[in-house]
Amino acid sequence: MGWLDANLLTMLNGLALAALLFLIAVGLSLVFGTMDVLNLAHGVVSLTGAYIGVALLDPATGTIGFIVAMLAAAAIGLVLGAVLAAVTSGVSDHLRQALLTLGIAMIAGDVLGEVFGSDVRSVPPPAFLGGSVEILGRSYPAYRLAVIVLSLIIGVALFLVLERTKAGALVRATVADRTMVEAIGVRSRLVLGGVFAVGAALATLGGLLAGPVLGAQPGLDNTVLLLALVVVVIGGLGSIRGAVLGAVLVGQVQTLGVSLLPDLASFLLFGAMAVVLLLKPAGLLPARYGTGARA
Amino acid sequence: MPGSFRRHRRHPRHLSVVATVAALALGATACGGSLSDSGSAGGDASGDSGAVKVGLVVPASGVYEPLGVDMTNGFQLYLNQHDNKLGGHEVDLVKADEGETPDTGVPAVQKVISQDKVSAVVGIVNSATALGVKEIVTQNKVPLIVANAGADDLADGSDYIWRSSFTNGSIGESLGKPVADAVKGGTVYVMAADYAAGHEYVAGFKKAFTAAGGKIAGEAYTPFGKTADWQPYLSKVQNSGAKAVYVFYAGAEAVNFVKQYKSFGLAGKLPLYAPGFLTEGGVLKAQGKAAKGVRTSLHYSNLLDTTENKTFVGAYTKAYDAPPTVYAVQAYDAAAVLDKALADADGTSGDAIAKALGGIGEIDSPRGTWKFDADHNPDEPYFLREVKEVDGGLGNVIIGNLE
Amino acid sequence: MTRRTGRLRPAGVLLLVVILAAVPFLLASYPVSLGGRILAFALVVVSTDLLTGVTGMPTLAQVGYFGVGAYSAGLVGIHWTDNLIVQLAVGTLAAGLLALVTGVVAVRTAGIVFLMVTLAIGELIHQVADRLDFLGASNGLVGIPAGTLYPGGEPLILAGYTYWWALLVFLLGLTVAYVVAKSPLGLSMRAVRESPTRLRAVGQSTYVVRLVAFIIAGAIAGAAGTAWTAQTRFVSPGDLAFSVSALALLSVVLGGAGTLWGPAIGAAVVFLTRDWLAANYFTGHADLLLGIVFVLAVFLLPRGIAGYQLSRRSDPPHSGAAA
Repeated sequence: MGWLDANLLTMLNGLALAALLFLIAVGLSLVFGTMDVLNLAHGVVSLTGAYIGVALLDPATGTIGFIVAMLAAAAIGLVLGAVLAAVTSGVSDHLRQALLTLGIAMIAGDVLGEVFGSDVRSVPPPAFLGGSVEILGRSYPAYRLAVIVLSLIIGVALFLVLERTKAGALVRATVADRTMVEAIGVRSRLVLGGVFAVGAALATLGGLLAGPVLGAQPGLDNTVLLLALVVVVIGGLGSIRGAVLGAVLVGQVQTLGVSLLPDLASFLLFGAMAVVLLLKPAGLLPARYGTGARA
Repeated sequence: MPGSFRRHRRHPRHLSVVATVAALALGATACGGSLSDSGSAGGDASGDSGAVKVGLVVPASGVYEPLGVDMTNGFQLYLNQHDNKLGGHEVDLVKADEGETPDTGVPAVQKVISQDKVSAVVGIVNSATALGVKEIVTQNKVPLIVANAGADDLADGSDYIWRSSFTNGSIGESLGKPVADAVKGGTVYVMAADYAAGHEYVAGFKKAFTAAGGKIAGEAYTPFGKTADWQPYLSKVQNSGAKAVYVFYAGAEAVNFVKQYKSFGLAGKLPLYAPGFLTEGGVLKAQGKAAKGVRTSLHYSNLLDTTENKTFVGAYTKAYDAPPTVYAVQAYDAAAVLDKALADADGTSGDAIAKALGGIGEIDSPRGTWKFDADHNPDEPYFLREVKEVDGGLGNVIIGNLE
Repeated sequence: MTRRTGRLRPAGVLLLVVILAAVPFLLASYPVSLGGRILAFALVVVSTDLLTGVTGMPTLAQVGYFGVGAYSAGLVGIHWTDNLIVQLAVGTLAAGLLALVTGVVAVRTAGIVFLMVTLAIGELIHQVADRLDFLGASNGLVGIPAGTLYPGGEPLILAGYTYWWALLVFLLGLTVAYVVAKSPLGLSMRAVRESPTRLRAVGQSTYVVRLVAFIIAGAIAGAAGTAWTAQTRFVSPGDLAFSVSALALLSVVLGGAGTLWGPAIGAAVVFLTRDWLAANYFTGHADLLLGIVFVLAVFLLPRGIAGYQLSRRSDPPHSGAAA
């Protein structure tokens, strides 16, 4: 068996992980790029999505039920994002934002733990995706393939909205120069709040979709937050293309990387991040117009 | 501090500091105890009638919280069944949160010993925490009944360290021969979370397995608490030509591993063996049907078919609306151990309890009868268990006894 | 430029030191040991502030250097000598050296990128501690003997004595931080924060200033680590986890970035909330309480605890990460 054959499935699996990471991380990146808010509550927002899956889904749930859960997760995400946008709006200093949003995350994490218990919970995939398919003679869970497809669709849709619509243009302009947008009299607050809401909705959706892969448990929010931070910083803050690349990279590091260098597995993620940042401090694909990663 | 600060005319800032010190003062229950050796903590050596203070230090937060809940329930159940008395003494139970790691667990033990003056400490999930408090309990002459942490070297016959749970290595060892027999000359792939316990479970297994003529196909240690995706490792297992797999995982990692073992198509083809924590309690519930057929070794299963266990399971389920886990039994037994020791002890001081612990003999437990060995670890049998459907749910059915 | 760190008057400072020194006479053994740990953690937070507040380099690596100091002291104690002064020296030096080696590359970045690079440094140190067998790996380093002050001296076992040692190290470290912040170097550090271009214009290298600040802060954190080991006589990887790094940085913000003494009090508030308030009255809900403290602080204390009495002053709040 050649090297490629031996590792192809692992690379595919890295893509599935990347798909989930992208959905969760892109909101963090956009919110930072447009609103200059470092939202450390992003992990707990995502975990909320996973718990929505715990509450609404069981192994018998059909496709309709899963879509309902996805809509519910997105709706709750929109609300959470709007609330976070309102709460953080008066806090411009990054460190105080960190204090505020991490404080909110700690409170929310404790509340989630009280409501859903401390046991690890599992989120079942929709029934028709519960099985495995044969790839290269090996079983591969169908659900993970579906996640890649769904994430691609959402990613493309997001890209089109940003590139082809008026609201998207405004968001891009804000990433490039926030004060200028405000100075020319655009009532950008609504658009900015919208970005925060959409970013959070993507995080809850990503959390729900990650449920069947990662489960739901107190403490998972911190793991997810760290991964998302690594993704967006590697890719370039405020940049969608950067989030895609960052997610793909982290996905491969976590799968192909640990497969090739098992002894260094626990050092790979942060080692890779450190190397990227030292070579390209603004990230691999910084926001095109912008100063999202200005240091 | 340098006098160069003098030129500033602003009023001094010591108010906040005074407030801090005042806050510290609130924490004091007694004064001036930090400069003299107050001798053994807790209890008194005279009389048999006084109350006894016991510290229960288990996780009430962090990833091990579910274990802490079960242990608290188990300990509390024993107290409830015995009129809140141990060895005839009314029990004043002081609970403290062990948290996840020693940076919270060690101070928690310190607190119950030096602030609450308990006569004995029960609990401790994390082995690192248990090792970290060894010195403290010995110095303060307060016996510690470890009701979970399994580090091999923890109990060494010291007067103040006793363990009602297990040692990592011996659970691993118990599976060595049966697995070697089952694969009949085939090889086995071993995998574990990459931390001390994981290595001990693997070392114990390998020792007994190779002694029984078994051969290892390959080994992998996955980053502890950071691994969510086992596909890269499972792929290697499939390429290795192994006839069976032995792993150690617990908690969320156990859930994700078992589910992925199924969805990547290994379940049903390569038998999976593990220490019983892989499929114990809430973990099994989250794994669901993916866990069917997994074989594990442990010193307990709530399906154990004895009168003592059925009575215990009935009482526990009635009280907490969930079947007991091994963690609950370990804490239940810790209470039984203290009960016997306090009945024999000359008073309720930590030292008296420690002296009495050596002579308590056999403990009648839901898991069967066991006693402390020379190192103060439980000398106990292990059961070979298989996950099967039981009354519509899943359970660890006992399919054999192990040495 | 130095007024932010120069508000303490000698009388106030003296009173403060006397009160802190009297703690072992006033309190029981557990609160005193908690106080000792607070002092060690507070010194890490002071070192974090030296970078974050004073120099404008928000960092998550200080707990890593704290760990280097703590493990070094433990190793010296086990394999060489129980002399606390030797342990302090070795731990401080080792942490300073590692800060030099890592800082050479890390300080080339700034702002959030620097924050993430320091996060990586902290996590990598954590992972190393978690895996090296001679450091006890995940079980931690045990068997560290009680320290002595001079050869043949009584070992410091009781909480009161180890507290005094921790207080001494804390005061030493805090003094160094103050002296550095008030020195010409400190002036340059503030310039790095407020106007790096101007600093370059007068011919000073921001790189060198940042690197030196990074090394000094690392060494102070290492000293704090040795004070930690002297009390706990046990170090585990959990002591250097990301959660601790995050608390150190948040303590700086809570206390008031750039004031050095404010963050020290922030550290005390965080520790007392977690290990006293939560431990005694809200078992298992430390995160909830800390979260509430943090959120309230953002809205009630816009300049941190140190800013409480300064709120009538006109100088604007600042912080490093508002790059």
